[in-house]
Amino acid sequence: MPRDITVGQFLPGHSIMHRLDPRTKIVLTFFFIIQVFISKSAISLSFLIALLGVFIACSQVSPGKVFKGVRPMIPVIIFTAVLNIFYGSGDPVLSFSIFHITKQGLFTGFTLMVRLTALIAGCSLITYTTSLNTLAAGLEQLLSPFKRFHLKVGELSMTIAITLRFLPTLADEFDRIIDAQKARGAEFGSGNFIKRIKSYFPVILPLFMSAFRRAFELTNAIECRCYRGGEGRTKMSVLRLSKTDVGAILLFLLAFSLTIIFNVLFPFQY
Amino acid sequence: MAIIDLININYCYGAGTPFEKQALRNVSLSVAPGDYIGIIGHTGSGKSTLIRHFNGLLRPNSGHVLINGKDIWAKPSLIRSIRFQIGLVFQYPETQIFEDTVAADVSYGPRNMGLSKEGIDLRVHDALQFVGLDDSYLGRNPFRLSGGEMRRVAIAGVIAMKPQALILDEPTAGLDPEGRHMILEQIERFRRESGTAVILVSHSMEDIAEHAKHVIVLDQGRIALSGTTTAIFNQAEQLVHLGLDIPQITKVLLELKKKGYPVNTGATTIDDAEQEIMHLFEKGG
Ligand SMILES: Nc1ncnc2c1ncn2[C@@H]1O[C@H](COP(=O)(O)OP(=O)(O)OP(=O)(O)O)[C@@H](O)[C@H]1O
Ligand SMILES: [Mg+2]
Repeated sequence: MPRDITVGQFLPGHSIMHRLDPRTKIVLTFFFIIQVFISKSAISLSFLIALLGVFIACSQVSPGKVFKGVRPMIPVIIFTAVLNIFYGSGDPVLSFSIFHITKQGLFTGFTLMVRLTALIAGCSLITYTTSLNTLAAGLEQLLSPFKRFHLKVGELSMTIAITLRFLPTLADEFDRIIDAQKARGAEFGSGNFIKRIKSYFPVILPLFMSAFRRAFELTNAIECRCYRGGEGRTKMSVLRLSKTDVGAILLFLLAFSLTIIFNVLFPFQY
Repeated sequence: MAIIDLININYCYGAGTPFEKQALRNVSLSVAPGDYIGIIGHTGSGKSTLIRHFNGLLRPNSGHVLINGKDIWAKPSLIRSIRFQIGLVFQYPETQIFEDTVAADVSYGPRNMGLSKEGIDLRVHDALQFVGLDDSYLGRNPFRLSGGEMRRVAIAGVIAMKPQALILDEPTAGLDPEGRHMILEQIERFRRESGTAVILVSHSMEDIAEHAKHVIVLDQGRIALSGTTTAIFNQAEQLVHLGLDIPQITKVLLELKKKGYPVNTGATTIDDAEQEIMHLFEKGG
């Protein structure tokens, strides 16, 4: 049985967030991203953070876990924020030689930091509460209208599904081959750059071999089951929108409109 | 002195996640030079996890792993030298082959040990000899060999490091009877001639009965039974209860005994069993 842990860090559960239809979650994530981008004033930002708090509560994922998802991005966030502090004109607060730190710059830098953090936290919440297979099924459904424009949605989703199915398998295989070569005294990650790259050859080459072998075997297996593209294929588990989904969409629309109202009533100013 | 000593090993996969799995519980065992130990157990009983502790691929959550009396985790930076002393052959080892000639692949281990060119060549030659491949294989492309030959090249790759203990995880999986027999014979000969301890993990009770002197039975990460091969396979009911089988010859002898014939059910090889049954005929006739 494939382990479902290596990618996407899905945490199984039964929270509201877990039970939502993947399509709802994808669409709402999309709107959440837009909301992050239009939340510029202090008031709409505070609202955004409150909203994120509600999401986290609804997902029953511990805030610590959410922060863990953000952690790898912290250097990027800080870099972007710092860049913004020096960039832009306005009332100088501090200046030395060609650098001027302005009030506006400080504000932009700070809010940018908050917004990026909220953005990543929001997106990581989706991967914590949705298994990759469900996410792929949702994506396929959402993309199905594009069939009209000759987008091969069936093939695309089959490719995604196969990739997702084999990622843990390949990850397992990677671990196994690393162990096997370590048992023969392999050393990884020491010496200069070239040496380091070279030390991974004994792992990468067998991994490629086995990936190709699996690909050929899978092709045969699929053809033996008379698969001829995704045309007219039915689903084993059909996605259905529930009352929770409708509720979530309505609430989100409300929140979204509120943000826009805030922006109109209290136009962005320093 | 023992080569390997495990003292109260506990190991848990994914501690602190929803996927937490206690794979080993309080495992203690000892391996002396020249031993031939069989490890059996139901799927998922922890056999592969256990053998990964012998050469420090996994670090126990608690307990000690001693190699030649020294705790290998006392200085984790020296763990690599342990790998040359304890040779580990994984399941389907042919998937670890990566060089374009047999010689180059078998020499990977000895090269990592930093041996001289002559030393390496000698070891490659000897190791291939042990697995029954002559020097004509040296320059061949390992990917053009048969499955059984590839398996033997991979095993030679570990033997070439001249370990003090050789551990094999289902070395005969997926081979035909002829290939299975050959590999096990060669391993046995290697053990006799070099004095290396051998630990064999296998699902084939016949293979274990025929070769191992001592058997360890794992069940849900615990050592359920441990003893001489004869003693273990005489506990047929226990083994069946643990989801395992007993060798066919043992089955036949046990049935005979049940029917009231005076047979010794301790035979572990086909030859011994044949003798037992022939005795029966002589006595009867
Ligand atoms: N990398 C891993 N992460 C999480 N759990 C694991 C991992 N590897 C093994 N396990 C679990 O640990 C337990 C022991 O696994 P192990 O591979 O040691 O069993 P085994 O006795 O070798 O089985 P088999 O006979 O099928 O090879 C199993 O329940 C397995 O699901
Ligand atoms: Mg195993």
